[in-house]
Amino acid sequence: MIELKNASKSFKAHKAIDKLTLKVASGEIFGLLGSNGAGKSTAINLLLGILKLDEGVISVNQLDITKNSNKTRSIIGYIPENVNLYPYLTGLENLDYFCLLAGLRYSKTELNSFLGHCGLQKNNADKRVKTYSKGMRQKVGIAIAYAKKAKVYLLDEPASGLDPLASNELSKLLIELASEGACILMATHDLFRAREVCNRIGILKNGKLLRELSSESVTATELEQLYLTYMQN
Amino acid sequence: MRSIFINEWRLLLRSKVLLSIGLCFILTLIASVWISHKQVSLEKTAQDEAKQHLRAQWENIEEMNPHSAAHYGTYVFKTSSILSSLDNGVNNVTGRMIRVEGHVQNEMVHSEASQMVFVSKFGKLRASIFLQYIIPLLLIFLAFYSIYSEKQSGRLKLLLLQSNSLKRLLWTKTLSVCSVGLLLLAFVVLIFGILNVQSFDEEILKRLTLFIGAYLFYYFIVSGFTVYLTARFKNATLALTFMLGIWMFWTIFLPNVLMSSAEKLHPLPSRNKLATDMKEDRAKGIDGHNPTDERAIVLKEEVLAKYGVDSLSQLPINFDGIRMQADEDYGNQVWDKHFGGVITKLQLQKKSLQRGGIINPFISLQNLSMGFAASDNYHHQIFLEQVEYYRRKLIQSLNIEHAHGGSKTGDWGWKAKNSFFKGIPDFDYQLEKIKAVIRTYILDVACLLMWTVLIFGLLSFNSKKIEL
Repeated sequence: MIELKNASKSFKAHKAIDKLTLKVASGEIFGLLGSNGAGKSTAINLLLGILKLDEGVISVNQLDITKNSNKTRSIIGYIPENVNLYPYLTGLENLDYFCLLAGLRYSKTELNSFLGHCGLQKNNADKRVKTYSKGMRQKVGIAIAYAKKAKVYLLDEPASGLDPLASNELSKLLIELASEGACILMATHDLFRAREVCNRIGILKNGKLLRELSSESVTATELEQLYLTYMQN
Repeated sequence: MRSIFINEWRLLLRSKVLLSIGLCFILTLIASVWISHKQVSLEKTAQDEAKQHLRAQWENIEEMNPHSAAHYGTYVFKTSSILSSLDNGVNNVTGRMIRVEGHVQNEMVHSEASQMVFVSKFGKLRASIFLQYIIPLLLIFLAFYSIYSEKQSGRLKLLLLQSNSLKRLLWTKTLSVCSVGLLLLAFVVLIFGILNVQSFDEEILKRLTLFIGAYLFYYFIVSGFTVYLTARFKNATLALTFMLGIWMFWTIFLPNVLMSSAEKLHPLPSRNKLATDMKEDRAKGIDGHNPTDERAIVLKEEVLAKYGVDSLSQLPINFDGIRMQADEDYGNQVWDKHFGGVITKLQLQKKSLQRGGIINPFISLQNLSMGFAASDNYHHQIFLEQVEYYRRKLIQSLNIEHAHGGSKTGDWGWKAKNSFFKGIPDFDYQLEKIKAVIRTYILDVACLLMWTVLIFGLLSFNSKKIEL
């Protein structure tokens, strides 16, 4: 579903992404691990089409994103580290607004069901977002992608700053989405959460994918050791 | 586009801070329009009373020598258009009253600014100050915040992913900010309409429509430019500083520079020089009060020949009136020559200032605002022309009566009857038709349209260059 072939992106002299090759299939969750500045967010921005590729090819659903950015964007859901919604609107109104932007008009019942599916309790849907916790905003963010019927989910540090309960709920939700056929790419620092949720994990450093492995093939301690080894070298 | 527009307004209405600022603006605008209306009404009432009093004085002249009446003279008034309550333009400095008499073309008097230290220092609370300075400033902040908040929060990526078009987003943000300006303008027009409904006519409606149009174009330019720059600049503070700098450059710095340049390019003669030159030229012509003047003698011979008589005592008319009118005609020629030159210079200065609209749309807006409100220098010149035309007709009537009313040459004690004075019409200032105003300001209209097209181009075709 997502494929990066020798993708490169530089900012002046700094090479943010260096010949990155990566493939994530439908129903799969891929965890992109790396320290700050490793190129995780740049990779996501390239997939979103917000940044232009210097070299290589990126395709989403077998469509080259440089040539079909409108089509590819229509099937991508993006959940940033901080889902900053409109604080003066309710969760339901935020969802409705973002759906309308995508050309989707849903009834209140349908919107509520999307929010419910993503774990937001019904009594919270009508509260203004300025009263929401980070976890609740993440749920609305995922509901926006879910209501869009996104086939690809790009998550940039989604669990950062979440309490363990909210983080756990997020993990469950991602697994559920993947089981429904979604292709998920998650950039994260959280090794343990990545191993728990992702099918495969890649370690990114200086824009290069240094290692790719199945999460089942390593224990949490081994993954941590492996990660530290790569980061220290 | 509709949903973004609705959302922008929903955010404005739900933010207590923005709502409070908006309400303060509306209340202040209402107050400024009401105060301006009150000022214009008071001026009009005072003017009407003075006008009636002076007319009554004129009509109550029982019997008077026409030439004494020419020296007695009268006063005429520039009636302010009701639109001047929206933009008082140059009225405060030009004054509204002028003395009309024989031999001399007087300057305007009763300028408020010259009488009030406070007004000359701080100006009056006028709707135009809000419309031209404060509302655009508010729109700059709103447009900046509208894009900055999306960028700062990271929502812009999400918006772009959902709506798929930065161009559409920038356009809608621009239009929604611009609609705030439209709403404030609508309040001004509404209050103005309520206060002046009985004075509305087709001409005022046309002028008002064009007045609103000019402001809408300017608000679009300011909103669109700020939206574009905020989106384009990576550093938001720099974008706001840059836009505020442009606002200051447009409203404070450039108008002064352009006006000074126009004055340097087309300098007007000094008051003294003009008076000396006119006096010199005037001395070359006939002296109406001096029967021994050489030119007066030549004229006398012509008139005697025309009537086929040998002496003034044989003339069936009063030659003094003929001589006086000849003096007046010559004086008019001298005035036309010298003031014609001044008017040409003023027009050149105005054209030069109008060209400044190419780099400063505020200049164009200010010109159009004053022009449509009939409070600009162009309307002032039209008024002066009408006054001079009236003065010439009045003095001509008095001289004709002096010459042909039944008196003989040298009979300075002869008096015209009251019915003659009553029969002379009062001065009635006629507002210039809007078509002529548009022709005068076509360059400003073109500049404002050019800027609109430029902003249209930036938002439509340059949005791809914006990096998020």
